[in-house]
Amino acid sequence: MNWTDFLAFTRGPLFEVALLVFVAGMIYRLVRVVFLGWTPDKVPARGSKVGGALKSYLKGFLVWPFIPWVKNTFSRNPITYLAGGLFHLGLFVVIILGTAHELVWKSLLGFGWPTLPLPIVDWLAAGAIVAMIALFINRLVNPVLKLISGPAEWLNLIVVFLPMVSGYMLTHHLWFPYEVLFSLHMLCVDILLIWIPLSRISHFMFYFFSKAIHGADFGKRAVNP
Amino acid sequence: MSDESIYKEMKHSGVTRREFMKFCGLVAGAIGLTNLAPVEASGLPAHLNGPGQKNQAVKMVAKALQTKQRLPVIWLEFQDCAGCSEALTRSQSPTLVNLVLNSITVEYHETLSAAAGFQAEEAKQAAMKKYAGQYVLVVEGSISPKDGGIYCTIGGKSNLDLLKEAAAGAAAIISTGNCASFGGLPRANPNPTGAVGVDEIITDKPVVNIPGCPAIPEVFTGVLANFLVFGSLPKLDHLGRPKTFYAQTIHDRCLRRPFYEAGKFANSFDDEGARAGWCLYKLGCKGPTTYNSCATIKWAGGLSFPVQSGHPCLGCSEPNFWDGGGFYQGQSAPLSRPDLTTVGAAVVAGVVVGAGASLANNAQKKSAAAQDKKED
Amino acid sequence: MQTQTAINIFVEETGGYVASQLEACTRCGMCAEACHFYQATGNPEFAPVWKIELLKRAYEQRFTLGGKVKLALGIDKPITDNDLEHFSKIVYEACTMCNKCSMVCPMGIQLGPLIHEVRTGFSEAGLVPADLMAAVNKQVEEGSPLGVTDSVYEDRMEWVADEWEVKLPMDVKGADTLVVFSSIEIMKFPENIAAIAKILHAAGEKWTLSKKGREVVNFGFYEGSPERTKMFLNRVFDAVRALGVKKLVVTECGHAYDALRWTSYNLVDVPKDLEITHIVGLMGEYVRSGKIKLKAGAYNDGTLTFHDACKIQRRGGHIQEPRDILNILAPQSFKEMTPNKEESICCGGGGGVIAIKEADPNRYAAFELKIDQMKKVGAKTVVMSCSNCRLQFTDCVQHFNLDVKVAGLSQMVADALEE
Repeated sequence: MNWTDFLAFTRGPLFEVALLVFVAGMIYRLVRVVFLGWTPDKVPARGSKVGGALKSYLKGFLVWPFIPWVKNTFSRNPITYLAGGLFHLGLFVVIILGTAHELVWKSLLGFGWPTLPLPIVDWLAAGAIVAMIALFINRLVNPVLKLISGPAEWLNLIVVFLPMVSGYMLTHHLWFPYEVLFSLHMLCVDILLIWIPLSRISHFMFYFFSKAIHGADFGKRAVNP
Repeated sequence: MSDESIYKEMKHSGVTRREFMKFCGLVAGAIGLTNLAPVEASGLPAHLNGPGQKNQAVKMVAKALQTKQRLPVIWLEFQDCAGCSEALTRSQSPTLVNLVLNSITVEYHETLSAAAGFQAEEAKQAAMKKYAGQYVLVVEGSISPKDGGIYCTIGGKSNLDLLKEAAAGAAAIISTGNCASFGGLPRANPNPTGAVGVDEIITDKPVVNIPGCPAIPEVFTGVLANFLVFGSLPKLDHLGRPKTFYAQTIHDRCLRRPFYEAGKFANSFDDEGARAGWCLYKLGCKGPTTYNSCATIKWAGGLSFPVQSGHPCLGCSEPNFWDGGGFYQGQSAPLSRPDLTTVGAAVVAGVVVGAGASLANNAQKKSAAAQDKKED
Repeated sequence: MQTQTAINIFVEETGGYVASQLEACTRCGMCAEACHFYQATGNPEFAPVWKIELLKRAYEQRFTLGGKVKLALGIDKPITDNDLEHFSKIVYEACTMCNKCSMVCPMGIQLGPLIHEVRTGFSEAGLVPADLMAAVNKQVEEGSPLGVTDSVYEDRMEWVADEWEVKLPMDVKGADTLVVFSSIEIMKFPENIAAIAKILHAAGEKWTLSKKGREVVNFGFYEGSPERTKMFLNRVFDAVRALGVKKLVVTECGHAYDALRWTSYNLVDVPKDLEITHIVGLMGEYVRSGKIKLKAGAYNDGTLTFHDACKIQRRGGHIQEPRDILNILAPQSFKEMTPNKEESICCGGGGGVIAIKEADPNRYAAFELKIDQMKKVGAKTVVMSCSNCRLQFTDCVQHFNLDVKVAGLSQMVADALEE
């Protein structure tokens, strides 16, 4: 198999399979958790649960991507705050507002949207890659992260890192012929798609659960989440 | 054909020395002897890389043409459309292309030969014998080795045998067009004839690929001129393409590139963006991943090329371009996507397995609670 | 055996609420930065995420495919008795269940309630630290962890009524409001009882005490045992039913407020139409509605600050009331510490920590963060609305030999009542 055939494989059948595994896997995770049963909360509220949940989402989205702001915690772990935020910002801009990715969405969904100029997307991608390296080092150094990191955590970092690096190399045609880079990028993406439902990268789905629970719990008590 | 040198032949046909030197300059330009990177790529000795190199290059070309005889060429066509030959013969840059073609003798060409049938075949046999080990074999069209090559036969011989026979005595082989280079259109799914490119069959001879649909005439003549001057093929990339002409993508040298960088795209063929000449990436342009010289040499004597005239690049110089995604679908889009039924099936599978897991887990919860009660 | 019991409880307690939050965790470790015990000691094992490690492992091993694979491959090990003992020390001695970590968590995971689930497993497995368990047993047997039996209660109340010349109505049928004190107030801060009585009297509240429901503290809730939590809740609710009151006032106790106001409804039958409130909320209402009048600027000498309790402010929502009151009582001298309100740093003594002798080093270490905060505003007096915090402050002020006065908000209000 040469690189051209391999590219056709990773862009075609493998991508299709990965996409199906991703969809089935995420639904499986969702159903498995949701069907475990929920105890209704009978506590009379002092404030609005819905309002609290909305505030909780907004706080996560607006201040710095998905990172809440609490006094005196930033200075103690700035790397996780900054790198974590930059990583998510870069990731979402690149995969939603990057032109090449928008064309993928368009081919999958049937509709598209305006995209950002390349230099902006490119710099954010570079930022996200640097952020990931920082997060990697932080995980090696921070005593708490050292304690709570197992093989799965390292694997997660690598599986997310590879598509980003190969995508960056592909954009800039670095070092290898494009079909090699494109194949590798697609292979990494396919692996990522299959790995997400098996790992904690699926947190983006449960984010909506935990943030809503947190917001409702604080809103119920009339406290800002 | 006579045994005289190319220069002498040209002089006989009324070309002056002055015109000859001008021609040498053109040839030097065509094979990229004028600037540093391609010079290196063409295999020119390092001492020529310096001030005054252009003059030296011209002198070098002139010396070769004054000493060498016209180059015998055998041109085979298999699963092809003769488009590459068409492009070459109808080239809009006669000075260069015609002059280079004047320096060769085409001994056999199915489309162009005056002779036909067994007469032509005999002429070919004679030429192969006479110029054994000297002639350049040009192949146009893909090879069909499937089922003993019965899907493409000429004069009762299979294309596979014809290729092997002609390749045996060739000094070098030029695969012109995407079909001869990578299998091209005949190779597109489901590839009923098992079409392949030349270099997948002939592995013991130097083969240069000049992909494109058709190949750019100036690139073809450039490679030929290189062989004429140096007696060898230029430096090739990993896909067997001359680096001189395939080192950069269409995107790299595209006149619409600034619009790409600025995120200004035409979203349809008749919107404001299309009229304003914005980037055609979203209309499926394959420029970013297509290596060829269209954007620099251009077509029709440097007049224009597809992207300039408002059509996205189809990526015709890349392997597998026909199956590499829709022409008007984004260059980055996946080649296939699951249909709604399959996605639905995946969703159902997820729900079923998830619900199953959840049932098992709820049973665990119950038994844990029961155990807990027993202990109390 | 202990392990099996604990795992059974974990499995039993793991519904969508627990599972979805465990799944949401990205192992970013940010929660550690909110934890006063981790901040004070630097011990990574005090990170909140680590406190729910066993719950997570039990969930993965029993409920998920990945967990089972990990177990089979030896990447994860089965939970052992040793694990349980190890984590018992962390979960009981280095956590006040203040839930500040949930605010720092980018995913908003409610770590406090999840740690409570862990404690539930431990309490059923009999792994509660001895000191805390002794207090629990005392409450089961005598009705109070500090030994406030029926007779002690009566004597004490009589003494308070005499000493401070206040009326303490006992078991008055037809009263609107039942007030339940904590044994800390009864035994250590009796002046609080007099103060609250004065305030209620001034506001014209028709209130009563109850011998049956005399203890608001709920050590079963500290420990995490649903059985005993329910038992102690029902003692109070039985009194409510017997007296037919419409309102239940929790006095200066944080954990009790969390148990009664925010948990009881999901555990036991709460008497219908009963309003449960905290004395801080009630005082705020009195001031707002003009039922009591305060001497403006009564405490204007010397800088004064307010300590937010985790269970009354962050988890109770009574953030504005104490500030409204202090802005009347000490408009010039009242200064906020940073961080404050819902982001406040915990005293370090809550969640049963102060009841465990082995936890003293943690408790003192955590309090140093509080000392820092107080020093920064130059506080001469620190006010709070939780007697558990007050116990911790009083003890630590002595331990560290600080020149700070520790005061309860109710008492300050009572002393500044406009006659």
